[in-house]
Amino acid sequence: MADDKDVLRDVWFGRIPACFTLSPEETTEREAEPYYLLLPRVSYLTLVTDKVKKHFLRVMKAEDVEEMWLEYEGTPLKWHYPIGVLFDLHASNTALPWNVTVHFKNFPEDDLLHCASNSVIEAHFMSCIKEADALKHKGQVINDMQKKDHKQLWMGLQNDKFDQFWAMNRKLMEYPTEEGGFRYIPFRIYQTMSDRPFIQKLFRPVSPEGHTLTLGDLLKELFPAAICAEGGWHQR
Amino acid sequence: MMAAERNPVSCYLDERTFRLCCQLFLQHSETIKDGWSWEQIKGTDEGFMKKTLLIPVKSSVLHEQPESSVQDEDMVTDNIQANVEDETAGVQAVCEIHAVLRYEYHVLYSFSYQIPVLYFRASALDGQPLSLEEVWRNVHLNYRQRLQQGPWDTLTQQEHPLLGQPFFMLHPCRTEEFMKPALDLAQAENKRVNYIVTWLSVVGPVIRLDVPLSYSTESDISLHYAAK
Repeated sequence: MADDKDVLRDVWFGRIPACFTLSPEETTEREAEPYYLLLPRVSYLTLVTDKVKKHFLRVMKAEDVEEMWLEYEGTPLKWHYPIGVLFDLHASNTALPWNVTVHFKNFPEDDLLHCASNSVIEAHFMSCIKEADALKHKGQVINDMQKKDHKQLWMGLQNDKFDQFWAMNRKLMEYPTEEGGFRYIPFRIYQTMSDRPFIQKLFRPVSPEGHTLTLGDLLKELFPAAICAEGGWHQR
Repeated sequence: MMAAERNPVSCYLDERTFRLCCQLFLQHSETIKDGWSWEQIKGTDEGFMKKTLLIPVKSSVLHEQPESSVQDEDMVTDNIQANVEDETAGVQAVCEIHAVLRYEYHVLYSFSYQIPVLYFRASALDGQPLSLEEVWRNVHLNYRQRLQQGPWDTLTQQEHPLLGQPFFMLHPCRTEEFMKPALDLAQAENKRVNYIVTWLSVVGPVIRLDVPLSYSTESDISLHYAAK
């Protein structure tokens, strides 16, 4: 894991330049300038867009403001997906910056989860961590950690502190090779043209014969459409 | 057969057994017209059980009314049927119903936790969805304290893993706690049990879903629960 530190840092510090524009449907007291922001790939929209909200609230009347929600080219953006996933899913083939539209009314109840506060994001994040550990270690590592350790994990993400986060996350990423490593690999495959949010199945990292398996093996077994017959790769 | 010689019963459910239990559950539902159906995801062998319920409520459940004389325990007028028979009481009961809520329940299988999970959504008849607060107000007082005990062992809004839409979900963390004693007992007494029936009978009533007793007494839908 130590030699992977560069990769871990690159993943953690990945950023997407975004341009936030207020929807023309919103009622404003004066024109609002777009707001530019670098979004961390590993974080969540509702966790990092407080400044965006404050910026647009300045030109709006309080009575016209309900829960803020974001949309890209008509598609409401699911705040509970990591930002990097949202961008790759919806906009990776378009020029930067990522143009996101901001709304304060007509919340799309059939598409988006509500996000009343940061504790909702924290609960969602911790629930994902817990589920991943259920797959990796039958939940033993996360359950053995103390509440303050869980809090440190969350605070590391919230405050963009790589070292603080990984001090705790390394325990969750421990891979005891004597026991065959992780029990199952926690993964999700997101697709654009599907009602189904993602594909998530059980997949052991080691074959019954003892060979360590790769991402290609996983896709071949669970999502063969991603790999074309000649052994190459389809675009997404 | 000595109970002590048996291995402890696993309170987890593999997918095959989940589907078998659902199949048997649905057969009985069909018999007693309990309204459950199986929804298959197109092109896959995955699916879930589904049931829709119409629940009459007093209007104070939907809107905060400080001078409301409604007691928490009878926010939902369960005895409407009985009152209708008695004409005088019937008139009064009818006057008290201000709204009907539509609850839709889905029973899904969780591969990650190897247990069933209950998702549901609630709306007024005009389609207006209920907020988390409104759903909470519909949770029976007796269950509220238990639900509030753990941050992850509670009622939250979640994305439906197969349909992608917002639903509410009862977190699965405590499943082992109540399933283990029930399954251990069944094994010790050499009784057959349907995991889904046992599980749903515990979690359902918290969110106003009842499982009629005949599911438990009907032996044809139960299985010998194997020790693991």
